[in-house]
Amino acid sequence: MGEIFARMITFAMVSIFTENAIFDRAFGANVAIYASRKDEHVIGFTVGITAMTTLASIASYFLDRLVLPLEYGELFMPLIYLGIIGVLYIGGLLLLWKFFHSTFKKIKNFVHLAIFNCAVIGALFLNASFGSDLAGYIGYGFGTGIGFFLASFFLNIAHERLDSEKIPKVFRGYPIMLIYIGIVSLAFNVLVGYTAKF
Amino acid sequence: MKRSKFSVKPDGLFRQNIVLMSGLLTAPVIAACTTAENALVLVLSFFMISYTGILICRFIPRKIAYSIRILLYAIVAGAMFIPTKLVLDMLFPQMEQGVLLYVELLVVNSLLLAKTETRFYLKPYGEMAVDALLYVVGYALAAFTVGFIREMLAFGTLFGHRLFDPVVPSAKSPFFGFIMVGILAALCRAIVGKNTAPKTARFLDPNEEE
Repeated sequence: MGEIFARMITFAMVSIFTENAIFDRAFGANVAIYASRKDEHVIGFTVGITAMTTLASIASYFLDRLVLPLEYGELFMPLIYLGIIGVLYIGGLLLLWKFFHSTFKKIKNFVHLAIFNCAVIGALFLNASFGSDLAGYIGYGFGTGIGFFLASFFLNIAHERLDSEKIPKVFRGYPIMLIYIGIVSLAFNVLVGYTAKF
Repeated sequence: MKRSKFSVKPDGLFRQNIVLMSGLLTAPVIAACTTAENALVLVLSFFMISYTGILICRFIPRKIAYSIRILLYAIVAGAMFIPTKLVLDMLFPQMEQGVLLYVELLVVNSLLLAKTETRFYLKPYGEMAVDALLYVVGYALAAFTVGFIREMLAFGTLFGHRLFDPVVPSAKSPFFGFIMVGILAALCRAIVGKNTAPKTARFLDPNEEE
């Protein structure tokens, strides 16, 4: 049991630091920039993405073993992952509608941004390419959500300054945010002494 | 005043370029556009998945709940991945696995999941088709610019043909991609004269109509 838990933690650490979805692969960078504008968005998006990547990773573990060994299995993986995400998305919306109606009304037009993005589906594809065990899948999925929080938090604390009058107009907002993410990404690469292929 | 029958603003090329101006689709360009060939793979995939997806999804009735429509758009894109992958295997048998990952991620791109609702599907079909095509061309301009520059800097080649010794080997890294796209975004903003900075990533707001 302890070994399984340790494996889960290890994979979570990998996806938070050495292979952070945003800093290392730019997965969901636009969503992180959007979420970073407000504190409550950072929390809301983190909860949505973490729940989705963790639960979807569990389901994808079993489906990967069924479909990937097939000759043309990989052709159908995007559809299969979208199916998993879609079922969880509809199930989550129904639960919110039934038990937390005011929350449902507040988030129904935004919730898909936290669900259908590169960070969520990218975590499933990366899990498949690592070919780990169930603990690894869960750890990596959970870590992806926490990694998203880390990135959004870094953007959130810098947001006010990066949008200030001190920044030249043409750089203000989106361009300077990207440059900032680039510098943090460089720092992460140096920190872990690792360079991703992409 | 009478509205002309067919009017399409070329916003998608520069003014609302989905990579450089609105940041709708940055991940593949930042991470995978490290060579001109990779850029070509991504542009072709983007055209096949997103553009055809937009054309097909137009037929999904708008009376279906918004939350469900988004899911259906993504499923159509997922189905379009199948012919796209077969074409890529045929044209680029040596395609890098890392690039394929970003092709797979195109099934959840924001052009299809967000821009359709706020722009494309508010127009007649013909106008929408041309407008969406201009956005794809805008994406291609950004992808090729990034791909050309990074390939020359990182490898000293262009489409694999050697030009000179590599100048900045780290140009193939994601951090360089972020910084470069950020600088190009500022340059693009200066050129189109859109000096007033838009709210960051405002495009994603589904309630915001153009």
